[in-house]
Amino acid sequence: MSHHDKPAGKKSEGWEPKIVAIVCNWCTYAGADLAGISRIQYPPNVRIIRVPCTGRINPFYVVKALQAGADGVLVSGCHPGECHYISGNLSARRKFATLKSFLNYIGIEDGRTTFTWVSASEGERFAQVIKGVTERVKALGPATKLVKNLRDAAVAVAK
Amino acid sequence: MEKVEKKLREEAKKLLADKKVDVIVGYEAGTLPLTATPVFITTPEEADKLVWNPFCQHNLAKYVHDLISAHKESQKRLKPDDRKRKVVGVVTKGCTSRSLVIHLQERQYERLDISILGVPCTGYADRRKLAAKLGGEDILEGTLEGANLKIKTASGEKTVALKDVLAGNCVTCRFNNPVISDMMLGEPAPAMNPAAEYAEIDEFEKLSPEERWAYFEKEMAKCIRCAACRQACPSCYCKVCFAEQSMPQWVGISEDPSDTQVFQFMRMYHMVGRCVDCGSCVSVCPMGVDLRKFLKKLDKDCFVLFNQRAGEKVDFPAPLQDQRMDDKEEFIYSPGGGH
Repeated sequence: MSHHDKPAGKKSEGWEPKIVAIVCNWCTYAGADLAGISRIQYPPNVRIIRVPCTGRINPFYVVKALQAGADGVLVSGCHPGECHYISGNLSARRKFATLKSFLNYIGIEDGRTTFTWVSASEGERFAQVIKGVTERVKALGPATKLVKNLRDAAVAVAK
Repeated sequence: MEKVEKKLREEAKKLLADKKVDVIVGYEAGTLPLTATPVFITTPEEADKLVWNPFCQHNLAKYVHDLISAHKESQKRLKPDDRKRKVVGVVTKGCTSRSLVIHLQERQYERLDISILGVPCTGYADRRKLAAKLGGEDILEGTLEGANLKIKTASGEKTVALKDVLAGNCVTCRFNNPVISDMMLGEPAPAMNPAAEYAEIDEFEKLSPEERWAYFEKEMAKCIRCAACRQACPSCYCKVCFAEQSMPQWVGISEDPSDTQVFQFMRMYHMVGRCVDCGSCVSVCPMGVDLRKFLKKLDKDCFVLFNQRAGEKVDFPAPLQDQRMDDKEEFIYSPGGGH
């Protein structure tokens, strides 16, 4: 993700949020595939990162995505009880419950981070999730907290 | 307190003389008045150095981990049959015992590697609070008399009530006695005021996200990333810390405030179900960052979500080592509401 094309400061005209979606290979990624095959329309704001299992996601991925300038982060995996690795998503659920709460606590807007479950048969739900998340992030405007703003730093040095 | 100290020395002597332990980690009087510093005792004669008083602030579990892992590393070159166990005795108050439990839960060493000399604890004096009471004047001499500190400074003698300078984590402590021990020295101490444990956190949660962010930003701006908090923390024992990893580089090395914020945020996040609120990080921080405001939140969440407190139960997996099918999941997003 590049820092350079991020609008500085407030909501600028024609701004479209960038959302990082970290999804599991077995359910949500297949759900996204199904949405595609079924030609269901959803906003083009997500960049999907496929991982073997939500349990494999280091909470740092979410924080780093925010620091690198993602306006929103979505994490999605198999519904509880349907994990390909039996309990990876249950481990993930504990991690993300505390991570989201802690992010909210330091003042990151609730809508910036989203956790959900989408199974391989839920192409429609996948599209709905992306729509919902995009709307939530659009309402919040560009991310400003925790974001590493290299451009501003470079400008300051040049001056 | 003197009784505990006397008994502690006796037991330490006995353990060392009987060769039940190889070393005892405890506290000795510091070089400055009204301080205590960690000490490593290997002979019975030295045991008289041991002290137990309200200045014993360090969480000694950190040293236990360091000693045992260094010993295990040195044993690696020997044949398995020639390897010896090194038993570390440790003077243990409530928070230290919970850190030991965390180490045991995380399989850092075995129960047989440690011998726990439990002491009841009624809190330690916070050196910053004390300095504030004395208007920043140096303490020339000081003694503990009952519940008061008699202090001599350049401008004269002063009396400070110990309870007014207890550290923030001690004031609301519920673990005044070790949760595990091989021997308990002295009568168990009563709990402090655990009912008010999360009062500060509840207050902070009521603020708007903008106000909370402003506070986080202000506190993190103080941080010079010296990593003293990490060095002092008994739960921070990774051989290579994420902050120093370069493949991938988790934490940037620029001056950008976000790098410091991300470092602190992630170091604190690693304490989910692992922070025993011993106050080590807070007391070593040279910049006075209010770390406890954030760390205590993790403790609260852990209790609210998983009904567990860090290092409370032996033989029970730590919160993030464990999971349940019926864990709370109100935070899970559902398009259009409902699941």
